[in-house]
Amino acid sequence: MSSIPLSLTVAVTAAVLSLPPAVAAAWYIERTKLPGRDALKTLILLPLVLPPVVVGYLLLRVFSPRGALGALLDRAGAPVAFHWLGAVVAAAVVGFPLFVMAVGQAMQAVDPRYEAVSKILGRSSWSTFFRVTLPLSWPGIVAGALLALARGLGEFGATIVVAGRIPGETETISLKIYAELDAPGGEARIAGLVAASVALCLVCVVASRYLERWYRSRLELER
Amino acid sequence: MKLEVEVRVKRPSGFGLDASLHCDTDALGVVGPSGSGKSTLLDAIAGLERGARVALDGVDLSGVPTARRELGYVSQDPILFPHLSVRGNLRYSPRAGPIDGVASALKIDHLLDRMPRHLSGGERRRVALARALASRPRLLLLDEPFAGLDETRRRDALSLLDEVRRRLSVPIILVSHRSDEIVALTDWSIRLEDGKVDASGPSASLLRRSETLVDNFLSGVVHAPGRVLLDGTDGIELSAMLPEGVRGEVRLACYAHDVMLATTEPRDLSARNVLPVTVSQILGEGDLLLIEVESPRLRVLVTRDAAETLGLRVGLRAHAILKATSIVYLGAS
Repeated sequence: MSSIPLSLTVAVTAAVLSLPPAVAAAWYIERTKLPGRDALKTLILLPLVLPPVVVGYLLLRVFSPRGALGALLDRAGAPVAFHWLGAVVAAAVVGFPLFVMAVGQAMQAVDPRYEAVSKILGRSSWSTFFRVTLPLSWPGIVAGALLALARGLGEFGATIVVAGRIPGETETISLKIYAELDAPGGEARIAGLVAASVALCLVCVVASRYLERWYRSRLELER
Repeated sequence: MKLEVEVRVKRPSGFGLDASLHCDTDALGVVGPSGSGKSTLLDAIAGLERGARVALDGVDLSGVPTARRELGYVSQDPILFPHLSVRGNLRYSPRAGPIDGVASALKIDHLLDRMPRHLSGGERRRVALARALASRPRLLLLDEPFAGLDETRRRDALSLLDEVRRRLSVPIILVSHRSDEIVALTDWSIRLEDGKVDASGPSASLLRRSETLVDNFLSGVVHAPGRVLLDGTDGIELSAMLPEGVRGEVRLACYAHDVMLATTEPRDLSARNVLPVTVSQILGEGDLLLIEVESPRLRVLVTRDAAETLGLRVGLRAHAILKATSIVYLGAS
C-alpha cells in the first residue's frame, strides 16, 4: 500500500479502536465520583508530553515478540512490532489524550440535571449513560475522534520505533517524507506528501472545530 | 402520605442542611429564603444527596438508589431531553404507562411529535409536568415550578396542577417563595431558615405568621355567581372574578398593596367592594405602613404620608376598597 492510503488506514483504525476506551475513560473521569480519577487523567495525558520516541520504546518493550504479550499476539496472528498494527497502536496511544480530552469536554457540557432527571424517572446509571449522556455528547465524541485521527496521521517518532520503516507496510506519510529527504529527486515527491498531509489534517481539525461549535450552540438553544 | 426525612449535608462552601422532618400530609409546602436549603431537601428526598435518611409511608428509602424511589420531579427549568420528542420524553420512564390521559389533562396532546426546541416556555413546563406524572410517581417533588411565569400563566398553571394532582391523587412537596402558591396547593408547610426547620404548621397559618405580610387570605361561600359571603363577618359580601361554575367554599387572596382605605364612604367607584372595617393594628416603620383592619381581616399597605393625612389610628372606622379584579381565586376549600 502506498503511504497516503496506508496513513489513512492506520489513523482511522487507531481512532475507531480508541473510541470505546476513550468514551469509557472520559465518562469515568467526568461523570463518576469513583476513586483514581486524577491518577487516570494524569496517565492518559502522559503521551501528550512524553517524547514520542520514548512512547515508541515503551510500546516496543510491551509488544516485543520476546515479551509475554507480544508473543501471545504473534501466535494469534496479530503481531504488533514491525507490523502495520504497530503503527496503529502508536497512533492510538499518542492520539488518546486528545480524544479523551475532547470527549470529556463534551460530557462536561451536558447539564448533569439531565442525568439526575433520568434517574428520578427510573433509569439506572447504565441506562442513563446510553440514553442521555451518550446521545447528548456524540458530536464531541466525533470531534475527538477527528482530532485523534489528525494526530495519528502525523505520527512519526513512536511509529518508527515500534513499526519500523517497511515500505508498503509501515511507511506512513511522515516516514516516507523522512526517507525522501536523502533520496535523489525526493523534493518533488515530498511536496506532494506534504500537501496531502496538510490537507488531511486541516479537514480533520476544521470538521472537529465546526462540530464542536455547532453542538454547543444547539445545546444552549435547547436548554 | 407519611414522610420522614433526616438530612445532614455539609458543603465545603459552609452551606449546611441539618433538618429533621416528620409529617403526614398529601401536600407539603416548603418555604424559606434563597439559600436556606429548600432544593437540597428535595435532592435528599430524591436520593441525589448523600447523608439523608428518608422514609415514605413507613418504607425506608435510605439505601434505595434514585432510580428505584419512584418519584417525580419538576423544577423551574423544565429539563426536557433535547434529543427526544415530547412523546419520547413522556415515555422515557420505564414506569410510564399509557400517556394519552396525562397528555390530554395537560393539554399537550397536539404537541406529542414536536421536539422540545420547538415548544414555548409554558408548553415545556406542561410537558415536564406530564412526564413526571406519566412515570406514576409515589410522590411529586416540585421546585419552584411556576417561577418566571407571568401572572396570568402562573395562575393557569397553578389551577391546572391543582386539578391534575387531585384527579390522579399524587402527593406533592412544593418548594415555593410565593405564599399564594403554597396556600393554594398545600395543607401543611415547613419553613427553612439557614438549613434548619424553624417553623411548621398548617400552610395558611404558618404563612400568615411568618412568611409575607403582603398577602391577604380570605375564605367564604359562593352564594351567587361572582358573589362570596365572607367567613367570620356579619354577612359581608365580596364581588370577585371566579372561574365559571365554582360553588361552595372558596379561598381567595389579594395583595396588601391592592387594597385602599377611605375614612368616609366613597361613592361612584368602579371598585366593586367597599367594606366597612375597623383599624386594629398599625405595623411598620419607615415610609410604608401595614394597616390591619377587621373584619374581614385585611392588611393594607399605605405610605406613612397617606396614613397621617387620613389620621389612621387603632379603633378608627374606615372603608376598605377592593377591586374585584385584584382578588385571586385560590381554589375550593
